[in-house]
Amino acid sequence: MTAQELLGDAREMWGEQFRYRELLFQMVRRDLLLRYKHTLMGFGWAVSAPVLNALIFTVIFTRVARLDVDVPYPIYAYAGLLPWNLFASAVRFAIPSLTSNYTLVTKVYFPREILPFSAVLVCCVDFLIACSILAAMMIYYHVGVSPAILFLPVLVVVQLVFTAAVALVASMANLFYRDVKYLSELVLTFWMFATSVVYPVGRIKGPLGALLSLNPMTPLIDGYRAVLLHGQLPREPAFAWTTAVSLLMFAGAWYAFHQAEFLFAENA
Amino acid sequence: MPEGRVTFDHVWKRFWRGERHDSLRDLIPSAVRRLLGRRAAPPEGDQEFWALQDVSFEVQPGEALGIIGPNGAGKTTILKLLTRILKPTRGRCEVRGRIGALIEVSAGFHPDLTGRENIYLQGAIMGMRRAEIDKAFDEIVEFSGIPQFIDTPVKRYSSGMNARLGFSIAAHLDPEVLLIDEVLSVGDFTFQQKAFDHLRKLIARHIPVIIVSHQLSKIPELCTRALLLEQGRVVRAGQPAECIAAYVLSQQPPATVPWGEGHIRLISLSVTPLETASGDSVTLMLEGEVRPGYSRDLELVTIRLRATDTGQILFQTSDSFCGAHLPFEGSFVLELALQMNVQPGICLVETLVRNAKRWQLLSEGPRAYIQVTESVAFRGVVQMNPRMRVRTLL
Repeated sequence: MTAQELLGDAREMWGEQFRYRELLFQMVRRDLLLRYKHTLMGFGWAVSAPVLNALIFTVIFTRVARLDVDVPYPIYAYAGLLPWNLFASAVRFAIPSLTSNYTLVTKVYFPREILPFSAVLVCCVDFLIACSILAAMMIYYHVGVSPAILFLPVLVVVQLVFTAAVALVASMANLFYRDVKYLSELVLTFWMFATSVVYPVGRIKGPLGALLSLNPMTPLIDGYRAVLLHGQLPREPAFAWTTAVSLLMFAGAWYAFHQAEFLFAENA
Repeated sequence: MPEGRVTFDHVWKRFWRGERHDSLRDLIPSAVRRLLGRRAAPPEGDQEFWALQDVSFEVQPGEALGIIGPNGAGKTTILKLLTRILKPTRGRCEVRGRIGALIEVSAGFHPDLTGRENIYLQGAIMGMRRAEIDKAFDEIVEFSGIPQFIDTPVKRYSSGMNARLGFSIAAHLDPEVLLIDEVLSVGDFTFQQKAFDHLRKLIARHIPVIIVSHQLSKIPELCTRALLLEQGRVVRAGQPAECIAAYVLSQQPPATVPWGEGHIRLISLSVTPLETASGDSVTLMLEGEVRPGYSRDLELVTIRLRATDTGQILFQTSDSFCGAHLPFEGSFVLELALQMNVQPGICLVETLVRNAKRWQLLSEGPRAYIQVTESVAFRGVVQMNPRMRVRTLL
């Protein structure tokens, strides 16, 4: 395969997304509308998961096993759980996106990437709503805002790129092997504790520590804390690593997804 | 506007029969076996199945191609290849221009959303832009004929309403290539007429059109050419009427007719002439054989004419109805003259042996077909020899 062919494919993939941008918007709208129509709490559910988790871990790490972090633990936990929840729920939501839209996938042509992409975007809305709780906590704990917060959009974009890459791979894998849905729950639980979501994973030393430092999610979560709670920019080499991994994985995942697309209708 | 064009170049499409493994439980053992160097799956030849074999055609602007054939012939596979849902195993399939597919017209509907919300969703699925949907919205609602239910969730719609709304959205696309699959049977009679008229308008735009239908009568009306498929192969390509005739004839019963339960066996049937103008006569010659035990009161030889486009029985008669008597034993030739006062089209002639009392089928005989051409321009089922004159009134 020549570079020219690759470039042609990339242009086609992007062109299709652009042409079908209305569909991406409509899909996101559909899922949000459905949630709003069918649940009593509507968007209240968006904040429930991170808040409840923050409560649980606050009890564990302040009453049972004291953990010293440089900010009040509840806000430490919530600032980690908020972006983690965006990632985890987007992946959870994206996994069945191809199989549950079976009729569409087997009967109508459209770029199938739209299904996992829209799942990620729907979770972004939840994320924005859950951010309001964080703002309230920052006021309560007197955490000031510094100019470093301007870096926040970069963090969100890098995280979305990484999340979309995982969502593409996982949704595609679930189409071919339905085990992925169950397996993913295990992986996400394990992954959360391998990331500094509720405790600083950097305190683990030795070979295990070195292995864990490869996890691209840790610099992201640490980055959120640095920008929001400490008024600092994310640590450079680690964040650069995450950015590079995210971009590469996204390009690879999208390309693989696009190549396998025509098999979906036969296997769904 | 760029000119649309459809090219199907020696296309083959293979499917796998039976279940493919879609859980890791199945994958892991087969992967292990492959690692150990043994054959993973049973011989592949057992499971593969060619849905299309070496199919080629081309549709230019202004042409309408009708694809006919029995179920499982590969018609839908062709449409799925054209819409890029499937990819050919071999060969090349190319569509130039924006495709408007009137296929599964309500596939994208979500039952919990209202008609209005679904119009936007389905429109987007079909590749319409927001501005286009906005512009066509009122027209879509009006065409569907259900404006009073547009803010009702689609799950409360009847299946007819569902289909009408789906068709209305699909029909308001502005395609450069049009694909149609069995959507003419949507809704009630009035809506079908409306849909059909709309389709004619689209076809008149001089874009390439491909139609798949089991309603054979629609094919000659809409198409300039036709393709007859059987088991994934093109059996005939050419004039729509020719292909339909070939299709109808291919549905023959086996050449050697068994005696069945009765005492009459029908062996061969010929029609002269094979092609006749509406209102002219044809002669049918039916050869058969009678074995001992036959009773005129118990068994009947029936000849039946059926319109191939609608399946409607046009005429039916039996030997004793016409005062004809078969011998009690031995061979016979039954001669029947008919005046074809029917609409132009293809008539299928069926022959059967029946129990005279219980009307039960004893055995089926050979079939033939008669092509009826137009003599007087008319619409309808029966040719009534119209004579019209005009008198001016002072």
